[in-house]
Amino acid sequence: MKKQHVGAKRNASRAEASESLKVAIRQLPTGIRGLDEILGGGIPEFSFNIIAGTPGCGKTTLAHQIVFANATPGKPALYFTVLGEPAVKMLRYQQQFSFFDESKLGKSIRLFNLADVVMEQDLDAVLAEIVKQVTNVSPGIVVVDSFRTVARKAANEASEADLQSFIQRLAQFLTSWEATTFLVGEYAESEIRNNPLFTIADGLLWLWQVAERNSVVRKMQIMKLRGQASVPGLHTIRINDDGLQAFPRTLGLTGRKPKPGRRRRLSTGIPELDTMMGGGILEGDSLLVAGPSGTGKSALATQFIAEGLRQGESAIMALFEERPDGYTERARGFGLNLKEPQSSGKLEMLYLRPLDLSVDETMQAILDAIGRTRAKRLVIDSLAGFEMALAPGFRADFRESLYRMIGALTGAGVTVLSTVEIEDSFQAMPFSHYAISFLTDDILRMRYVEIDGQLRKVMVVVKMRGGNHSKDIREYVITNRGVVVIGPCQTDYTGLTTGIPTRVGKRAESAPEPKAKI
Amino acid sequence: MRNFAARLVAHEAALQSVDSGVSTAFAVSAKMRAHLTTLMGNGGHRALLMRALALASAEVSWLCLIEVAIDGTLQGTAPLDESVAPDDALMGGVVLVAQLLGLLVAFIGERLTLHLVREVWPKFPARDLNFKI
Repeated sequence: MKKQHVGAKRNASRAEASESLKVAIRQLPTGIRGLDEILGGGIPEFSFNIIAGTPGCGKTTLAHQIVFANATPGKPALYFTVLGEPAVKMLRYQQQFSFFDESKLGKSIRLFNLADVVMEQDLDAVLAEIVKQVTNVSPGIVVVDSFRTVARKAANEASEADLQSFIQRLAQFLTSWEATTFLVGEYAESEIRNNPLFTIADGLLWLWQVAERNSVVRKMQIMKLRGQASVPGLHTIRINDDGLQAFPRTLGLTGRKPKPGRRRRLSTGIPELDTMMGGGILEGDSLLVAGPSGTGKSALATQFIAEGLRQGESAIMALFEERPDGYTERARGFGLNLKEPQSSGKLEMLYLRPLDLSVDETMQAILDAIGRTRAKRLVIDSLAGFEMALAPGFRADFRESLYRMIGALTGAGVTVLSTVEIEDSFQAMPFSHYAISFLTDDILRMRYVEIDGQLRKVMVVVKMRGGNHSKDIREYVITNRGVVVIGPCQTDYTGLTTGIPTRVGKRAESAPEPKAKI
Repeated sequence: MRNFAARLVAHEAALQSVDSGVSTAFAVSAKMRAHLTTLMGNGGHRALLMRALALASAEVSWLCLIEVAIDGTLQGTAPLDESVAPDDALMGGVVLVAQLLGLLVAFIGERLTLHLVREVWPKFPARDLNFKI
């Protein structure tokens, strides 16, 4: 027993020793939001990387962001331009991005045009020029943009072995000079197998522009990254005034907190509905409010938010259909002031309708707003509008994406109320078109029923994962106070869920909103 | 832009301890060449200088006698020192520099152009680094 203990101790100390002898690979920040997470922390220092992709997918912008994020007078970046984009035009366009800092040009970022050497001389001369400049500057980062041009010229004049030897010598030299290298080039996926460049490279960042119907979305894949675990798969990227932004597929899945054992119940702002729900929505739950157009889903969502604000909680409304102004105005009609909390920063209304939206971007926008406001309540109005705002390519994955998004948001401790429009069938009572009810904790179904020549409204709590709830189908009206659930119906009906009920027995009360009289 | 170009030529003349003349204006262009070639390659610089020369020639006729050589240097400057009046020669040189700077401003903006000037002439007075005065 004692021997075993000594052996285990020795193994542990060996492991510790071997751990301390391991080289620590420093990671360089990319300066691109979301990309470090995808890369598994950043770009490994001294690595030899390829940034590849089709024209217009953001390769040069990506390289520039990395350069601007890392270049310092002590460890400058050396940016070789070849024939891809002339340096003057590159500077002209790149200075439009917010990351572009012209004070870094010169001391921290040196631009050098290799075109003349590439066009007029051979690969040895190209290498000699790179060696000369790198030796002079001693850069921390080296970019060759576009390396494809160098290789294409060489392919016409030199043998494949010469090109391979050139790449090998270039990689060896730049690594020996402790430079982290990025070769930018327009490549097709079909070239990966036969191009020696991809074998030698430590990292391969591939960018795409994917067109589907009328939409175009940009995506990125880390095809290879030696020395660390990157997040596999295709990640959405978007280019805006700040440059590239990446949205990891794992956004929201990491760092989820388990829901606490005892959670308080949040009032919906409609006392009768709270009672139906066993005291309100459990904090951190996701509630799906489903019903056809005009049944008051948005009104209910507004009351839920207004109640939170009344209790001092911050809130977010992610709107995909109605504009914030219209929403605020309608709330005012119910006597709810959403304008003042927006001014004070307690409420943010996110109107998310850019072209070709991705779920990941939406999630990021909402998570950012949660970070800013520390919101406790979130309304997504509506899932149908959300789906419509997505690029067609993302709609196929809507269910999975929504699962991830709602999980991430409730994981952040936020109580989520989503609305979904359903066309009422007068034969059945579906909960949503998306078969997404599995991802919500609670479901409230609103629907029309025809009673005594009137189209009246009823609601029922279908599901409450966190406890018991009323099984009653309750009638409600929408007044100048919003959704008002009226007292339990004393008249018995059957077939309410079909929308065409049959009265059983005597009518015990009159209609909540009287019928028109002649 | 012309005032700025004139100040730059005067600054270069002071560095060379000579009076401002067409040769100092062309020296300004030559100093910029070294920097612009690093940035744009010889072909890029040559194309830019040829355009500047074409624009400047429309204002100052004797500049038509000047050519941009394959290596990006200005050719035909020597005889002009005798055939053109010194003031006209200086003005032509200044206009050429002004057009070159004007093209740079059009392509990369004022800030980057001033940044470039500062790199080539680090002692150029900061108060003069303004295209509008």
